[in-house]
Amino acid sequence: MNIFEDANRKQIAGRRRMDFILHILFVIATSIGVIALCALIIDILVDGVARLNPDLFNNFPSRKADGSGMKSAIVGSIYMLLIMAPISFIFGVGAAIYLEEYAGKNRLTRLIQLNISTLAGVPSIVYGILGLAIFVRLFALERSLIAGALTMTLLVLPIIIVSAQEAIRAVPRSRRDASFALGATKWQTVSRSVLPSSMPGILTGVILAMSRAIGETAPLVMIGALTYVAFLPSSLKDSFTVIPIQVYNWLSKSKAEFHELAASGIIVLLVLLLLMNLSAILLRNKYQKKGL
Amino acid sequence: MEPLINIKNLNLYYSSFQALKNVNFTIPEKAITAFIGPSGCGKSTLLRTLNRMNDMIIGTRIEGQLLIGGTDIYSNEVDVETLRKKVGMVFQQPNPFPKSIYDNVAYGPRLHGITNKKQLDEIVETSLKKAALWNEVKDHLKRSALSISGGQQQRLCIARALAVEPDILLMDEATSALDPISTLKIEELVQELKDNYTIVMVTHNMHQAARVSNQTVFFLNGEVIEYSETEMLFSNPSDKRTEDYISGRFG
Repeated sequence: MNIFEDANRKQIAGRRRMDFILHILFVIATSIGVIALCALIIDILVDGVARLNPDLFNNFPSRKADGSGMKSAIVGSIYMLLIMAPISFIFGVGAAIYLEEYAGKNRLTRLIQLNISTLAGVPSIVYGILGLAIFVRLFALERSLIAGALTMTLLVLPIIIVSAQEAIRAVPRSRRDASFALGATKWQTVSRSVLPSSMPGILTGVILAMSRAIGETAPLVMIGALTYVAFLPSSLKDSFTVIPIQVYNWLSKSKAEFHELAASGIIVLLVLLLLMNLSAILLRNKYQKKGL
Repeated sequence: MEPLINIKNLNLYYSSFQALKNVNFTIPEKAITAFIGPSGCGKSTLLRTLNRMNDMIIGTRIEGQLLIGGTDIYSNEVDVETLRKKVGMVFQQPNPFPKSIYDNVAYGPRLHGITNKKQLDEIVETSLKKAALWNEVKDHLKRSALSISGGQQQRLCIARALAVEPDILLMDEATSALDPISTLKIEELVQELKDNYTIVMVTHNMHQAARVSNQTVFFLNGEVIEYSETEMLFSNPSDKRTEDYISGRFG
């Protein structure tokens, strides 16, 4: 007796064909993103590589494309990052700790939670308007580095809060129990058990939020950073510019040389973003391997 | 033996569900008391009222008295941090912190303000010795606690609980996630510890209760059905339901 004889081989062939077709479709779906990124990178490299020289980093922008640089924009971006990172870390992680560990699980908490998740999706230009109203006008900070950094802090806070909450929530209940059962207070448990376990996740979230902020233009245009800056900011109240604004500025000029400069500016920005994402990955791997 | 823990007319509610119904009994000092009963009978709930771990569950309400050494632990006289220092707990799953073996044991003493390195070294060594783990880990105290076996991890958790010098040790099915050999080691350890500590253990395993404990309490649907010397309860139960349970007719 042949136990295989009642098999419907035609039907199986049909099932396999469907499997194959979908396999191809999924590969295409994946390729679109990768191809778009490659096209972008190649296009920019072709345009911008010739301008990637010391002038770009050492010189200030000028009316002539030759010898024009983006020193003020690079320094401005880094300064903004340095101001924004600690402020948004403290407030973002603080809020996440409150919501996850201290807040009662009631309607108010859920409302706050809903608000924060919604804020994470609000268009960045809206934060620009908010920053203009609060920091530039109300606090009379003018179009300064500190006003820009604080506006960007508002922009990234919801993202940091949400990702820090997820990292904190991922710490198993049993670790908190172990700490409480030894007589720890809530803060002792949070600081000695929960935060050390969730720090890689929190830092990854913070770095990714920072890399979003580095590439943002709209809110800074709104609060008026779009200026031709031929000096380095020496105090928090100085005016400033950042890389994406410098790129935007160059792109809006008609001469092709400036478009090449813009492309090289994008390369600098991409490299910066890549480095930040790389550090997030390295950080995560380091803690995962150690298990400490 | 003097009763150390005295439970009087204790009722416990999770919101509208009554998990413990008018519980009354005493737990003697420096002996092993086992709580047995089917799942959901309230034995773990009662264990977790002894160090007030139930406080963290929203909607928990308690009536009656729970005296330890004559003091009501739910009164204002007792800080929950002090209570939990005096009443240590070992959980079902070994739950070491993802820190070194040393830092796991030193976690509790540090919480309570001990920072002196020499003093901590001493506490770590004596606690690990009491938990019968010292010889296995003394050469790599800096290694991650997650790198040792499950049975060793559970003994590390016992050492961690002992490091804050408790009087009472609660064990919530502390061997149910372990293999038979590790279980045996923990049972032997518990026998040694009872000379210095009052031990209350919850177990799913009736044979374990019979092997290890001095007193046994049988729970069913939130009530204490029977409470007596272990030998007595297993050989000559006075309640039909106890007999049915220990002879395996339900549960």
